[in-house]
Amino acid sequence: MSDWSMTELQDWDDKICTLGEAIGLDWYPIEYEICDYKEMMGHMAYSGLPTHYRHWSYGKSFDRIQTEYNLGMSGLPYEMIINSNPSISYLMTENPMATHILTMAHCVGHSDFFKNNRMFAETGADTVISRFKSAGKRVKKYMGDPNIGIKKVERILDACHAVRFQVPRTPGIKRRNHKELKKYYQKLIINDKTGSWDKFDINKIPLEPDYNLLRFVAENSRYLEDWERDLIRIVEQESLYFVPQAFTKIMNEGWACMIHEKIINALGIPDDYFLSFIRLHNQVIRPHLGRVNPYHLGYKIFKYIEKKQGFDECLRVRKDHNDETFIKTYLDEELCKELNLFSYSFHTKEGYNKITEVSGEDSWRRVRDDLIKNVGLNSVPVVLVKELKKDGTLILKHEHDGRDLELSEANKVFEHINDLWQGGVKFTTIIEEEAWEF
Amino acid sequence: MSIFREHKTIADRAASDRSRHRQKIEKAIKESIRDVVAEESIIGQSGKKKIRIPVKGIKEHRFVYGDNEKNKRVGSAQGKNVGKGQRIGHRRRRKSQEGDESPGNAPGEEMYEIEMSLEELAGYLFNDLELPELAKKSFKFTTQEKMKRKGKRPYGIRPRLSKKETIKQKIRRKKAAIKAGTYNPEEDGRFTFHESDLRYKHIAPVIKENTAAVVFFVMDVSGSMTKSKKFLARSFFFLLYQFLNHKYSSTDVVFISHTAEAQEVNEEQFFTQVPNGGTLVSTGLKKVEEVIEKRYHPNNWNIYTFYCGDGDNWAIDNKEALAAFRRLKENNQVMCYTEIGQAHHYREYSLFSGHTPEKKLWDWTKLIEDKEFKRIRLEENKDIWSAFKKLFGGRK
Repeated sequence: MSDWSMTELQDWDDKICTLGEAIGLDWYPIEYEICDYKEMMGHMAYSGLPTHYRHWSYGKSFDRIQTEYNLGMSGLPYEMIINSNPSISYLMTENPMATHILTMAHCVGHSDFFKNNRMFAETGADTVISRFKSAGKRVKKYMGDPNIGIKKVERILDACHAVRFQVPRTPGIKRRNHKELKKYYQKLIINDKTGSWDKFDINKIPLEPDYNLLRFVAENSRYLEDWERDLIRIVEQESLYFVPQAFTKIMNEGWACMIHEKIINALGIPDDYFLSFIRLHNQVIRPHLGRVNPYHLGYKIFKYIEKKQGFDECLRVRKDHNDETFIKTYLDEELCKELNLFSYSFHTKEGYNKITEVSGEDSWRRVRDDLIKNVGLNSVPVVLVKELKKDGTLILKHEHDGRDLELSEANKVFEHINDLWQGGVKFTTIIEEEAWEF
Repeated sequence: MSIFREHKTIADRAASDRSRHRQKIEKAIKESIRDVVAEESIIGQSGKKKIRIPVKGIKEHRFVYGDNEKNKRVGSAQGKNVGKGQRIGHRRRRKSQEGDESPGNAPGEEMYEIEMSLEELAGYLFNDLELPELAKKSFKFTTQEKMKRKGKRPYGIRPRLSKKETIKQKIRRKKAAIKAGTYNPEEDGRFTFHESDLRYKHIAPVIKENTAAVVFFVMDVSGSMTKSKKFLARSFFFLLYQFLNHKYSSTDVVFISHTAEAQEVNEEQFFTQVPNGGTLVSTGLKKVEEVIEKRYHPNNWNIYTFYCGDGDNWAIDNKEALAAFRRLKENNQVMCYTEIGQAHHYREYSLFSGHTPEKKLWDWTKLIEDKEFKRIRLEENKDIWSAFKKLFGGRK
């Protein structure tokens, strides 16, 4: 049925690796798992992690992927690779050789990005698989525990998932716990001669706004049991692991596309393979009308950098930047105009999406800034822990940046937090220029 | 340089999470009767017919920004001409203003389609519901002999041999033999079938109690019955029909629509008929009597009549309608007067007409309300289930 054999895969892989090294890439060893489409859907549902814990939401995504696939609404991805050492990647049995070659070259790009980009420095690629395995086992244990059971576990996990992206947006910076913070501030106060710290309350919790909502709850809740705190930490750890990927979606995909193109052009592959490669490549990096295709945008910017400053600059950029700085630095007027980027928003009264800005001479900067507001976790509202009162009231605050929260959703999430904290949560935000409190 | 592994597992890792998710959806189905009664024609369909039921997904909530003017996003339009102020995409309503008119049409809302037969659906809806004493007692039974499968037995005729059951027996024996050490799969040859392995399907006659019911749905289709009122009526009728169909072995449905005169119609006409004319409730009820006389003798049929209207009967007809209700009540198992919309306020009427308020049909029917005659008011969708429980939920 398929037009390839394992030996062929290995032969092509050897060539790909040689070419990868020749252009200066440095990646984790890759482990390819050959699986069928059904298993692929399973891997997709669990974010590729072979040892992920159980939760009904993954069953839901599996069903959705399957429905969409069966209806022909979407194909399955050619590649799926995990930020781990070695990097685990999946190749689908059903795919032809040309697709595998492209996938393998693409995976080299991703693995190189994981290993080199500074955002990923603290993700623990060496241990991630075993960490998830251990977490999966613990969740299973709690579910099977007659004193706990699946319902109680789900209650905690449902709540945690609702706020899973309320984590610090500074990957790579170590969290200081309360003790360390207290020491730090005491030092400041003792050494202070200007008197500006006189009013600082050294006994308040937290000493500075805590962006890690889950961690704060796990550390400070009065009522949670150990297994509940453990579940919260499991979700928090997973978020911290995935945040760098969210922060670099455009770069990571753009980089991998650029690399696979480079490698394949140098591979000297037969003509019929080459044609299918071109077709796939163009499909992956085509612009999506009315939306921004991260593969396309990332690829374009990297190509642009290469054209102007050479490939070595690209290598440096893939190390130092994240999507936000990448766009801010390299998406210029010329590129904005070429991609014909525009801003739009939903106009409630008219019931239409309306274009609010196009990439013109001065206005392109505004479009770029709007884009930045939607990359990484910037499209997720920031909610932080402001204060834990003596009476146990937890005060949360939404950091308003001009965009209002969707109240109905916020309300539901609030209920989850309140449930997790077991009552006594206050949440403030701004809706249409007025203060709101839940 | 890289490692290749052929990964072959038969285990479906998502299986348990999927079944857990399905359980949640099932719960959601129970809770969203309205969505179940979609546009499709389901009343009077056979129980085997598969229907597709849109179910709102089990949503996972997050903090998100509202979809409005302030939340700007970016798109690309390479090679196209775009200008400030240009509208893009389709017109849509904002989620929160969506109201309850168009379920599940909001963009981004996760919808599932679940396919199930009406029987299964009825199972979902009614298994939790107590069968009321009242209905149980007054079922009318006729008996009928039927052949039914009754398990397996070790003797029988050749055509009824159950291969599956037989092989199971053999496997069982083989396992036992291995355990006992009398058979070694490595060395000994094939483990052969034995006479005692054979199993046959058993079929035996059972006496089945046959019950039959006829349901009359009578609806006012005059001008005042708007589309949304009819939708409410339809949802309610659907539930009633499914419930009775679930409980009886066969159920007939008769649709009667009336304005100032009544006629028997089919389901589609019943719900889509163009409204016109005034309202004489008694005509609809008389039509019911007529049909009962012709086709459904009360000695053989369990009769249920459900009247549905907005209570806007012509005043001169009220007494006659009441008399008709009284007569029907005699040979009905349960009869129900359903009024849709809010209760009329006397004050409004007296203000406009200048004379003392008249009793409306709602008030008149109170006179005969009892165990067999119920009055129900439906103002909005969520009333349906509670009304339904009031009708059949026993004495809770």
